[in-house]
Amino acid sequence: MTGTPSSRRQFLGYLGAAAAGAAASAPLTAAAVGQEGPEVGPSTPMSTRTPYGDHQSGITEPTQRFVELVALDLLPDTDADALGRLMRLWTGDVVSLMAGRPAPGDTAPELAGPNADLTVTVGWGPRVFDLPGLSGARPAGLQEIPPMRHDRLEDRWSRGDLLLVVGAHDGTSVAHAVRRLVADAAPFAALRWRQSGFWNGFGKDGSPATGRNLFGQVDGSANPSPGTEVFDETVWASEPGWFAGGTTLVLRRIVMDLDEWDTVTRAEQEASIGRRLPDGAPLTGGTEKDDLDLTAFEDGRPAIALRAHARLAHPQMNNGLRIFRKGLNYTADGASGRTESGLLFLSFQADIARQFVPMQHRLDMHDALNEWTTATGSAVFAVLPGFREGGWLGDTVLS
Amino acid sequence: MSSTLLRPRSTRTLRIVGLGAALLVGLTACGTSEADEAAPAEDTGVAVSDAWVRATAGTDDPSMTGAFMAIDNEGEENVELVGASSPVAGKVELHEMAMVDGSMVMRRIEGGIEIEAGFGQVLMPGGNHVMLMGLEDELAPGDEVDLVLEFSDGTEQQLTVPVKEFTEEEGHYHEPGTEPGHHPSGSPSGGAMDMDSMDSGAEEGSEDGPR
Repeated sequence: MTGTPSSRRQFLGYLGAAAAGAAASAPLTAAAVGQEGPEVGPSTPMSTRTPYGDHQSGITEPTQRFVELVALDLLPDTDADALGRLMRLWTGDVVSLMAGRPAPGDTAPELAGPNADLTVTVGWGPRVFDLPGLSGARPAGLQEIPPMRHDRLEDRWSRGDLLLVVGAHDGTSVAHAVRRLVADAAPFAALRWRQSGFWNGFGKDGSPATGRNLFGQVDGSANPSPGTEVFDETVWASEPGWFAGGTTLVLRRIVMDLDEWDTVTRAEQEASIGRRLPDGAPLTGGTEKDDLDLTAFEDGRPAIALRAHARLAHPQMNNGLRIFRKGLNYTADGASGRTESGLLFLSFQADIARQFVPMQHRLDMHDALNEWTTATGSAVFAVLPGFREGGWLGDTVLS
Repeated sequence: MSSTLLRPRSTRTLRIVGLGAALLVGLTACGTSEADEAAPAEDTGVAVSDAWVRATAGTDDPSMTGAFMAIDNEGEENVELVGASSPVAGKVELHEMAMVDGSMVMRRIEGGIEIEAGFGQVLMPGGNHVMLMGLEDELAPGDEVDLVLEFSDGTEQQLTVPVKEFTEEEGHYHEPGTEPGHHPSGSPSGGAMDMDSMDSGAEEGSEDGPR
């Protein structure tokens, strides 16, 4: 049976072929997957991103509207060989799904489609590096976050051996991808937790913007910009070897007490972070992207309060070190019929022990926001380097 | 260009160029001198993606299963998938589903599966597929199977294909027999395929390859 004439670059997917019945012919689709898209660029609902590169997808891209974080635990029999099979399996799924094609063996192929701006990011928890053959591969600084005074950690939101971060511009694409990836992992790993969040990375005029958490704060203003030297130094693992191009991720589930927050005056709300609520600009003036003036005084007091979050997280207060943060808002059923609101906080950095832990200790001791925030989940992962066409996730250490 | 879904043993072995490919270049080169560049000998433009093999663990007949994939022909000439082999299978055939006397039956494809230049073919449950027969061991989800595809231009592709669970009812492509009347008496509907009746319906040329 032959195909119907059509442009070979037309991106129709194979679904039409599936509906046609027995024998099927379809315009080329795999070819479209290989298109080299910009690694960094505006995120729009009409994007189809490349899974290939030095780094995995889902890190440098603007946060999509819907993101789900999924942790799995390795089954007792899963050794390094089996982990390799799972990574090859997941690589196939990621390549197909990101291109808008059903995953191989997909039981709901109609749910796959292009232009969902789908990204999938895969990480390994610390226990993976206890597997025979992988103990020498543990990335520098990969460690669980030490207990913090304000933590109220729950097991159901913490730790994990494998991580999937699945983001897209619609929740259906996210749910479908997560379902396929978790189902295909069944011979190797079992679901530990799922946490989903949402983000609006667009301003009122529809152009890309930093986005706001549920306190109403512009969240992420001081982030290093992808593609800059500062970003590369902050995020990508520096040591040569299998982990080059990888990074580490800290996840913190942060419950926000919105009821108490609502009782605070706007001036106090702004003072607690050190930024203006309307636009995220520093209280010392300028616009959102301008740096804080940590030395400025007003009426004999620091213009940015000593306990202000933005001061304590500032590189000048942290030996010049930074992190790259992303946030996802969430709401969930809380205790006794109340709604829990919060932030799924993602911190990317080259080295957790060097960059994240000291900063978190400082914030735990002094941050004014601690009055309204409580971490109830914590997990850390080594985010694998990217892969090439024909390669697979983790091939630099498992092959 | 190489497949990303599959795990080539190495990039070097992803495409093994045979005599046919050289011949193809020779033929196209007759037309214009540019054709040499259009059809480089080391790459005939057939890309395989999204391949998987259905697990047999727990099925009625674990001695056979199907392999599925998308094959894109990015080259300038039509190509046929003419055969396949796998170390896990005693015998591998190309199968199609077809309507015979009002019933959907599975049967061996006479000749190959043509992939027109500039188009793709999808091998899937309920459609054309690569049939793995004579499996000695059960294939469990999470296993990997080596598979060699043979094309009409003389090229081969060596793939390592993941084994996946497929939850749709088995009969979807394990349709028994070539005709309803040929069901073995004890075979449940949608259960094991009646290989004898199928073979008897498609004997010719089966051992020497489809061409």
